[in-house]
Amino acid sequence: MKFVIENLSKCYEKKEVLKRIDFTFESGRIYGLLGRNGAGKTTLFNCLNRDIKVDGGGFWLEEGGRKKEVTPEDIGYVLSTPTVPEFLTGREFLKFFMDINEKSIGNRKSIDEYFDFMNISREDRDRLLKDYSHGMKNKMQMLVNMMAEPNVLLLDEPLTSLDVVVAEEMKQMLRAMKEDRITIFSTHIMDLALDLCDEIVLLHGGVLERIDRRDLGGKEFKEKIIAALREEGNV
Amino acid sequence: MYKTLQISFALKNTYRVNSILYALKQIPLLGKLFPETLYSVKELKIFANILSALWEVVLAFGGKLLYFLIFFGIAQGIPEARGREGFLHILVCLTVIGSFVNVYMFEPDRDKYYAVILMRMNAAEYALVNYGYAMLKVLLGFGVLGTLFGLSSGLSVTQCLLIPFFVAGMKTSVVAWRLRRYEKTGISPGENGKDVKSWIAIIVLLAAAYGLPLAGIVLSEAVSIGFMILGIVIGIMSVNKLLRFSRYREVYRRILVDPERQKEIVMQAITEQSRNVITTGTNIVSKRAGFEYLNELFVKRHQRILWNSAIKVAITCVVMFFTLILTFYVEPSTKATANEVILTFLPSFVIVMYAINRGPGFTRALFVNCDHSLLTYSFYKQPRSILRLFQLRLWELIKINLLPAVVIGLSLAALLWVSGGTLQSMNYLVLIVAIPCMSIFFSVHNLTIYYLLQPYNAGTEIKSATYQIVTSLTYLGSLFVMDIKLSTLQFGVMTIVFCAGYCVVASILIYLLAPRTFKIRM
Repeated sequence: MKFVIENLSKCYEKKEVLKRIDFTFESGRIYGLLGRNGAGKTTLFNCLNRDIKVDGGGFWLEEGGRKKEVTPEDIGYVLSTPTVPEFLTGREFLKFFMDINEKSIGNRKSIDEYFDFMNISREDRDRLLKDYSHGMKNKMQMLVNMMAEPNVLLLDEPLTSLDVVVAEEMKQMLRAMKEDRITIFSTHIMDLALDLCDEIVLLHGGVLERIDRRDLGGKEFKEKIIAALREEGNV
Repeated sequence: MYKTLQISFALKNTYRVNSILYALKQIPLLGKLFPETLYSVKELKIFANILSALWEVVLAFGGKLLYFLIFFGIAQGIPEARGREGFLHILVCLTVIGSFVNVYMFEPDRDKYYAVILMRMNAAEYALVNYGYAMLKVLLGFGVLGTLFGLSSGLSVTQCLLIPFFVAGMKTSVVAWRLRRYEKTGISPGENGKDVKSWIAIIVLLAAAYGLPLAGIVLSEAVSIGFMILGIVIGIMSVNKLLRFSRYREVYRRILVDPERQKEIVMQAITEQSRNVITTGTNIVSKRAGFEYLNELFVKRHQRILWNSAIKVAITCVVMFFTLILTFYVEPSTKATANEVILTFLPSFVIVMYAINRGPGFTRALFVNCDHSLLTYSFYKQPRSILRLFQLRLWELIKINLLPAVVIGLSLAALLWVSGGTLQSMNYLVLIVAIPCMSIFFSVHNLTIYYLLQPYNAGTEIKSATYQIVTSLTYLGSLFVMDIKLSTLQFGVMTIVFCAGYCVVASILIYLLAPRTFKIRM
């Protein structure tokens, strides 16, 4: 499966944030999306999640050479600040989510099996989400996105404010679920991107550019990325 | 000194001009005509500068005019307070209040924060120059308006000219006293004016200003003038303290940095408050599924702010009903008046129904505790999900608001009957139906504007000028309706027809537009 973006444009009045972006993402890979502050990473994600209107171009999924329109069920979007309904318990949230997405959840498990998978302890499962810690809320957000099994998973700086243990658990989970889907991971932290992602894509000057890693050591690769991002500063 | 004045003026003006330009951009429809780069458009800046200058004039005179109109307007209702002695008596009392309540130097304004804390301007120079300018405005404003109002109360020109200097002198004395106290005890000069002691002082002085004349006691002219001269002398002597005080930066840090933090804390507290209204407890469960499940749990966990307040209002109405019934039996002559009021005052109940509607609280809790998070999930933004949840929520909101509405409607009909009845029996039916109709209208209206204008951003702040305009218009509309002179029967029938029509239109609009409009503001 491929996720194809073609000629995608987005302007804020005269400022062109995304300039006719062309890019093809392939399933089974985690893409690290790097860009300087204000480069348009969140705008790109918001366009792909249809939270904001695009000014031109489009995106679709391609399987066996056949185009398929992207439906809301195809996209999962995990924000850096976890957003979960505070008035529900963890168990209630999962029940509600499973009720609504009955048709799209394949390989359905019991609620407790999902909690076990996420390492959420038994005593926390029936507590209100408002009393969950930041890391636990993040886990819940990640869990429901995982349960829905979206074809494209967008992650906007999801690990930035997590403690090292939870961050490591999340990384492992992302690696475990990368098969059969396209994961696009936006971050400012280059080491994290290099550690977790299979490909590095830069968003600079309003376009996406793949950085070729072949024959480069870690240090040289980092220097190449920084040099590429600096170029934009001079534009 | 001159440069400090120039810079602080420029800074204050830039802040104000940018606020005006920001406000222009927020105006619905009109705002779209302005480019994103409006802050660099020369003509717009000139326009905003003119508005800013006008605002400065309004600040110098407008507030003081209102002050004289209100406080001395009240005095006209008290015979002893009219005339020279009464005017001076009230002026002395109110000026003492103003001297500790309205101290320009210690107000935690944003432009002070930018100048002294962020841009590290010389705090002493900044404080003195700006205080000097504020006093100049006091002298001008009170000079002109004090003379006008003073002369009309029979004061001599010399007495009138004492007024601005007395006001400035009193304020300066208080500033000097607070600076001295800060040196001795470390108590922040900004900490006074809004605490319990100050409130007691305000009440006592207000009582002295108006209560004493009511009791026939007024300060003699000589005492008032003597007090004013004393205020001026102490004020002049206090200037020295202001000039010699060396810890302005320290004081500003205390006053300005904390409020900046406090604003963040307040924002957090508002969100926290919304979260705290969630009722915990394991006994709250739901046997439903899907959106019905979500909605039922939401309502049950927000019992305190939804049903409990509606129940309290309903109980209050029942108590008022029985009190009136009791009054009818104790004092039968009140029946006729009550009967007439019920038959003519139905329009006034619009504002009552507006005030007791739980819609604003309901939508706020909906956003902060539910939609704020769920709107980031794609399944939640599906048109069918939005419409289904809208129906469920509307039904719930209508039910909550109907409880007090039905109680009020039935009470009014019963009161009409007990107080002597009416020849047109339709009046009973109209009262019973029209009040719940108003309640349904406000329920539909509140939820509709929430869905069509979704005013909140991800930080749970209201960011839609259109929403604020619509809510203000709703309030003004309710006030306007109060003035309509129609019989209960006529107005009631009109209300029922209007509410039914509004509900139909709102439902169509929601169906057509909500899937596009109901999203978090970017």
